[in-house]
Amino acid sequence: MIRQIQAFLISLLIATFLLVTHTTATNLVWLSSIGMPVDLAVSVSALVTDLAGMNSRGEFPAFGLIFVGLLIAFITARIISIWTSLKKPYLYALAGGAAMLAIVILMPLAFYHLDIIAGARTLAGKVYLTCAGVVAGYYFGSHPQPGDSNEKH
Amino acid sequence: MKSTKTGLLAFSSLLCGGLVVSVLAMASNDNLDTQILAEGLDHPWSMAFISDSEMLVTEASGTLRRVSNGVLDPQPVAGVPEVLFRSQGGLSEVRIDPNFLDNQRIYLSFPAPDDEQPELNRLHVISARLEGNTLVDQQTIFQSHPPRKTAAHYGARLGFLADGTLLITSGDGFNYREKAQALDNHFGKILRFNTDGSVPQDNPFVNTPGALPEIWSYGHRNPQGLVITNDGKVYQHEHGPKGGDELNLIQPGNNYGWPAITYGIDYSGAMISPFTEQPGMEQPLKYWVPSIAPAGMTLYSGEMFPQWQGSLFIAALVPGDVRRIEIDDNLVVTEEILLSEFGRIRNIIAAPDGSLILATDGKEGKLIRVTAKQ
Repeated sequence: MIRQIQAFLISLLIATFLLVTHTTATNLVWLSSIGMPVDLAVSVSALVTDLAGMNSRGEFPAFGLIFVGLLIAFITARIISIWTSLKKPYLYALAGGAAMLAIVILMPLAFYHLDIIAGARTLAGKVYLTCAGVVAGYYFGSHPQPGDSNEKH
Repeated sequence: MKSTKTGLLAFSSLLCGGLVVSVLAMASNDNLDTQILAEGLDHPWSMAFISDSEMLVTEASGTLRRVSNGVLDPQPVAGVPEVLFRSQGGLSEVRIDPNFLDNQRIYLSFPAPDDEQPELNRLHVISARLEGNTLVDQQTIFQSHPPRKTAAHYGARLGFLADGTLLITSGDGFNYREKAQALDNHFGKILRFNTDGSVPQDNPFVNTPGALPEIWSYGHRNPQGLVITNDGKVYQHEHGPKGGDELNLIQPGNNYGWPAITYGIDYSGAMISPFTEQPGMEQPLKYWVPSIAPAGMTLYSGEMFPQWQGSLFIAALVPGDVRRIEIDDNLVVTEEILLSEFGRIRNIIAAPDGSLILATDGKEGKLIRVTAKQ
């Protein structure tokens, strides 16, 4: 159980980190494209600020949002795993991807149809964040789950 | 009038690279009388006097109302076009023509669905003649380009320069903020038109390849306050994101920076930009962190409050009050908080008799008249 919680928290960190870095990179790439002086120091500072800021000073903490999304998705995947022979890493990867896709699609409904996560405004951004969920889910699914027999691993 | 109540919260702010000391004063309303002129208005947004005793009021839900001698006419003005009333969108500004007494023309701004792609919408500005209680002879002056998916950040304020040309504020549409830095679109711009919809040939970008010739200034977010003084100064305020509301002095051709420079952060908590200044981008006269959500502005020149002549009054939605701003030599020297008991204030105008008229925000909006206590 402890290893499972540990795996969940690490998958949460992976998804949160990928979301924040994507947001930072999206902003910095555009700023650079219009000639703003974006250098390494600015980039590192921006990333650190966003890692703290998106988890503390926004309307919602990013990790909290992803925590809820992944928790629901992984519990659902666990139930589905009873009836499917799909390998766990792939099943949880699908669940993680679905969680992040749901977040970027449903969030605007709660905010007047506005994309609060700037990096999710484009289709490419939505795809990227869905992939971030896939990576996080794959990591979680690659770790032993309750009920897995020793023979399987 | 009694002197402003104490409670001075002095603070210093660094603006434009120089040390500017401004004073934030919490004023009492002991010297003010307030009277509810009308209530039950559905999201009142803008007011304009058409005579000493008659005022037009827009409701975002799409109706134009008339208040005569302090009484709200139950019958809305007929002939108002269909508007998109959703999220932050709806019937917005009403402004009368500088020659209204001769031509009875008024100007309205509002979003409406795009003709070809109804899932998208555009900001529209029309003029029409007010004949009795009906709008006739409607002319489209402006439709924003390109159309947008979102129903937010329209700007939608109007103002007339001394030469009779019309300024239109056009917001960044929220999801399109980067376009405020490009000159090939209407997002995040102040635009200047002749009243027939043509473009004045002395606009700053008429000879710039790829630029829309009607652009007068750019790099704005959601400009909902616009004041033009008798000596030709153009003051504008705009909503920032989470922090970073701005009061600007607008000069044609200038770039006001959004979203490349800003004092605000995104609602997600992310930085929008790590930069607050950059050569070639203008600094605000004042910015607010946290936000006050400035939603409308007027310049006071009336006789009822002689001590306030020359002050700007800003309607603030958050936490809900009126800010009186004194500017001296292009520096904000005083900010006084007034009328904080009415909740979110959507707009403020000065009446011909020198009183101030407030509109409160929301489904049960009120018009409140503020006069000097006798």
